Amino acid sequence: MSSLVDAAHVAVHPELDTSMDYNSLIKRDRVHASLYTNPHVFEDEMQKIFYQGWVFVGHESEIPNAGDYICRMIGSEPIIMLRTKAGDIRVYSNRCTHRGNLIFNQEKGNAKVLTCNYHGWAFSLEGALIGMPYPKGFTKDRADFGLRSPANIDSYGGFVFVNFNPQGKLLKEHLGPAMNLIDRVNGLSPTGKINLNGGWVKQQFASNWKMLPENDTDGYHANFVHSSFLKAFRSQYDALKQSEEDRKSRVIDFGNGHIAIEPSFIYTQPFEWLGVEEERVSDYVALMNHAYGQEETRRRVIEGPPHAYIFPNLFLGEMNIAIFMPIAPGNSVQWHTPLLLEGAPASFNTRVIRQSEGAMGPSAFLLADDAVIAERTHIAAGGLSGWLELARGLDRESPYGTGLISHISDETSNRGFWQHYRAVMTGEN
Amino acid sequence: MQKNMIPEAIAPADTAQDIGLVTEQERSEIVQFLYLEARLADESRYEEWETLLTDDMVYWIPLGNGDYDPQHRVSITYDNRRRLKNRIKQLMTGERYAQVPVSPMRRLLSNIEIYPNSDETRQVYCNFVLHEYRLQSTNELCTWAGQMQYKLQRVEGKLKISYKKVTLINSTGPVPSLAFIL
Repeated sequence: MSSLVDAAHVAVHPELDTSMDYNSLIKRDRVHASLYTNPHVFEDEMQKIFYQGWVFVGHESEIPNAGDYICRMIGSEPIIMLRTKAGDIRVYSNRCTHRGNLIFNQEKGNAKVLTCNYHGWAFSLEGALIGMPYPKGFTKDRADFGLRSPANIDSYGGFVFVNFNPQGKLLKEHLGPAMNLIDRVNGLSPTGKINLNGGWVKQQFASNWKMLPENDTDGYHANFVHSSFLKAFRSQYDALKQSEEDRKSRVIDFGNGHIAIEPSFIYTQPFEWLGVEEERVSDYVALMNHAYGQEETRRRVIEGPPHAYIFPNLFLGEMNIAIFMPIAPGNSVQWHTPLLLEGAPASFNTRVIRQSEGAMGPSAFLLADDAVIAERTHIAAGGLSGWLELARGLDRESPYGTGLISHISDETSNRGFWQHYRAVMTGEN
Repeated sequence: MQKNMIPEAIAPADTAQDIGLVTEQERSEIVQFLYLEARLADESRYEEWETLLTDDMVYWIPLGNGDYDPQHRVSITYDNRRRLKNRIKQLMTGERYAQVPVSPMRRLLSNIEIYPNSDETRQVYCNFVLHEYRLQSTNELCTWAGQMQYKLQRVEGKLKISYKKVTLINSTGPVPSLAFIL
């Protein structure tokens, strides 16, 4: 996937408040909760994280055909991701270069030409301004009015990322060990490809967006927040009932802000992560054996998918892919879609869909409760605010590749997020 | 694998003149039943609400209008009877924090259309507006609106729900925690 360096578009806010002292708010073992509520911090995050670093946009499978497009947000910037006639993927700001209207206000569709509904300016799929009504009245050079693109677009394993910063690092540098996590996701498909066309469910949280990665890679809360789930459902999470010494799951800080819960240490049988016996999905296993051989297939179907967060907005949530959308300091939305596997039997993907509904989304058996917890933290983070304690595991975490690993209940993962966040927000990174 | 349990929908554009009406008495009975179901759901009386369901009931909250096969696309909720039973069990633990305390709620039902199906069951469409006071976290008054579609049948003479599809008008957009029974 080539980078696009033309029409570099870096958002610069002239009146930015640069007085935030992140080093005083983010310590190794605690962070200040005002980072969730302060509107200056929110705007600063848009600039430094969403407009100057790599951010996930969408997946190649969402725009298979020429003219297919999807509309998303990168921070507060509305964007379009589309497939050109030549088969390339482009990303544009969803903003007409005439008077700034939204070009598309539908989430997805197909178009041969991008036409603005305000004055009828028309753009090609390649982003060029190709037409307008009453053209004699416009005397500037049309070549200067093509749709704006981020400085960099790149993809890994079908996951498309953009970076508005022309001087940023390469995507592979940003991802680092997270590339293995994407490989693991793709490796569950007999063809090595996933399909994210199963529909997007959107759950609104009256909380800051940073609560979403905090919650999704926190292993300590599950016994409490999800106690009702453990009582009503039989699942792979039954391991939560074990004593602290017996728990085998781990949390991992991969570095670069990428963090994970690793549940696979507890799995000894295939498909524990899907809650099904191997005999019931033998057709899927046969396809996987044909693609990868029996031994490798067995390894993969025991290990299962990752439960990992890729900084800043992508969550590989077991059999789901989720995107975190920041809306305002106290408002965020988690999108999720089931991890459908290309080449897998339809009945297998149906199981994935059912599990997706159970785990994530507004009525999920898990996430509905996480949202309310996040909302309560947000209320408590207001007023005089306070410190969030993140010391668990400092004395027992150990090296893991270029990162750290610790007991499932430790805050190694949370610290990994905050240290990378601090480095980005102070400009060290 | 569960089979697709969506009953044939009667297009609402088909008028009563083509299909026929139920008797006034039956209409009155069904409307009363819908109000009872609404009241039990509003008051979070889950176990009593569950007694109004058939053994094979399907409860569906789709994305959008739900004009797709839920075996192939995700929904907000798609519970067969067994999963719905576990959902209620989870609520009954008293530890489902998304509904601790339960949200005070009242829903209004309107535009109630009742059609007889060829198999003696009844197809019901109605609009609803539900006001929910989110006491668990935000303490805000939240509005839910949309359409309910029911299939009703008689079990030993008593009305039961074998299918309930709830299409929220905003289901394709961000929806907050929805741990109660719509």
